[in-house]
Amino acid sequence: MHRFVRPQLMLRDSKQPLLPRAGHLCTNHKSVVSSVRGYVVLPPTSDEEEKAMLHRMMRVDHAGEYGANRIYAGQMAVLGRTQISPLIQEMWDQEKQHLRKFNEILAENRVRPTLLLPLWNIAGFALGAGSALLGKEGAMACTVAVEESISEHYNSQIRTLMEKDPEKYTELLQLIKEFRDDEMEHHDTGLEHDAESVNLNYCHDRMSCMNYNIKIQILNNSNN
Amino acid sequence: MIFGIKEKSIILTNFDVLFAIATNIHVRLKTGFVLQVAVQGTVSLQCSNVRRGFHRAALLRLASDSKSDTSVPPPSYHEVHTAGESSSSSAQGESSEDAQPNTSFQDQSGEHGEDYETEEQLQARILTAALEFVPQHGWTVEAIAAAAETLGLSSASTGMFNNGAGDLVLHFVAQCNAQLAETLAEQNNQVQLGQAEAKKTAEFLKDAVETRLRMLIPYIDTWPQAMSILLLPHNIPDSLKHLSTMVDDIWYYAGDRSTDVNWYTRRAALTGIYNTTELVMVQDSSPDFEETWAFLDNRIKDVVNMANTAKQVQATGEAVVQGLMGAAITVTTQKMIQFPERNILSTKRLLGLLF
Repeated sequence: MHRFVRPQLMLRDSKQPLLPRAGHLCTNHKSVVSSVRGYVVLPPTSDEEEKAMLHRMMRVDHAGEYGANRIYAGQMAVLGRTQISPLIQEMWDQEKQHLRKFNEILAENRVRPTLLLPLWNIAGFALGAGSALLGKEGAMACTVAVEESISEHYNSQIRTLMEKDPEKYTELLQLIKEFRDDEMEHHDTGLEHDAESVNLNYCHDRMSCMNYNIKIQILNNSNN
Repeated sequence: MIFGIKEKSIILTNFDVLFAIATNIHVRLKTGFVLQVAVQGTVSLQCSNVRRGFHRAALLRLASDSKSDTSVPPPSYHEVHTAGESSSSSAQGESSEDAQPNTSFQDQSGEHGEDYETEEQLQARILTAALEFVPQHGWTVEAIAAAAETLGLSSASTGMFNNGAGDLVLHFVAQCNAQLAETLAEQNNQVQLGQAEAKKTAEFLKDAVETRLRMLIPYIDTWPQAMSILLLPHNIPDSLKHLSTMVDDIWYYAGDRSTDVNWYTRRAALTGIYNTTELVMVQDSSPDFEETWAFLDNRIKDVVNMANTAKQVQATGEAVVQGLMGAAITVTTQKMIQFPERNILSTKRLLGLLF
């Protein structure tokens, strides 16, 4: 989905937009930045390398959430009328929320989205639908594998940021930690619902994991 | 006194260069042959720091010789070597050839003036001044040399610019893009403050591209030369970068916040529009480039039409698919009702997959 908005003016530290639609002047501001939200997740930086690194991270994360979104969509397409569907729907909604957040960050910071999005669209849907055709256990196994990969990826990002400068990246770290916790929750939910009872589980696990890891590798390499 | 300086291959050692520079003034007076060739010939032979040191010495020496406005102490080779050895003293070296040629040369003993500029700032100043000479000399090193002389520097200071005319063109492009971004930001502020109406996308794009292309009007006669310089292989990465940031800026202020493949299609479309309109403009001879703006208008209309058509096609396609699925479900459900004993689990799953 694409959105058309005019960049809004906001006070750096407030949660309210500086100017409502009517547009009156406020003279008490310290500094004005264009932002959709009150606080900025990516710290403003003038160092080109750091900016490139942050943009790269956000691009990969955005692509990851987009892919996860499509995987759940594929699963729902097949299992949408079964007993397991409310659970998958709930997990899907959380992923949609993550994706929305990353869309906001990308728009705010003028980060370029990855060119491979159509590929992740198809691949994600195919993975989700394919695993769901193996039944509920297959879908759960896929979820477990994918969420494990995502959590590992987020953890490595957290490690990188902590190594650099935990204070500067406080908001970003908070965000990634929150998302990582959500993904771990999905992982545990998948395990709860008999993901491990599938005989093919091991192969499938590895395949999904591999698929996701390949995804992240490609993204990391292509955006470097 | 005058050697066969016309051949670059003769100049091989530092001292030869120095001697050649020292005799430059005589060569120039007698043969009119600028010694930039010799200076540039040393680029590949020495490290850039030492080269810059010599350039500074040359600038100091020749500026004073050719202008003879101030009494200049002879170039201190100590200064040259220290400037050459460490880049940290580059500012110090630069301070001696500062903006005011008539006042700062006394500072060679070690103190520098309070407002010394960096090399980049100096280069920017020279290039900006060089734009005035472009109609006369074209996008060439001669324009830069003429500008350097206007600023009180020697024409040998063109040696600072490794890329020669490319530097001049890229500087101009960057300047135009910065100006455009400023204008767009200003307009955006006005809209936010409610002092101006928000434009529709097509109109906004048209105005933005027109604003940017109008900045070329003073140089339109020589612009084809500039375009060809930008297409040289070693300039392509930089020119592409400038073009892509400009297009990104325009779309950002037009309100594009897409985070999917539309991000790419929109920018590609606008890049195409901009490039073709630029080409039309250099061949346009109508009063105030009316034909160019009409062409631009039509191209933007095309893109908007295509976008609308794509949306319609997609909507129609979705509607068709929904219809087909409806038909499939009806048929399958009928079959399930008629033949309940068949294994319907796989049918159900297939249905689920279909819609």
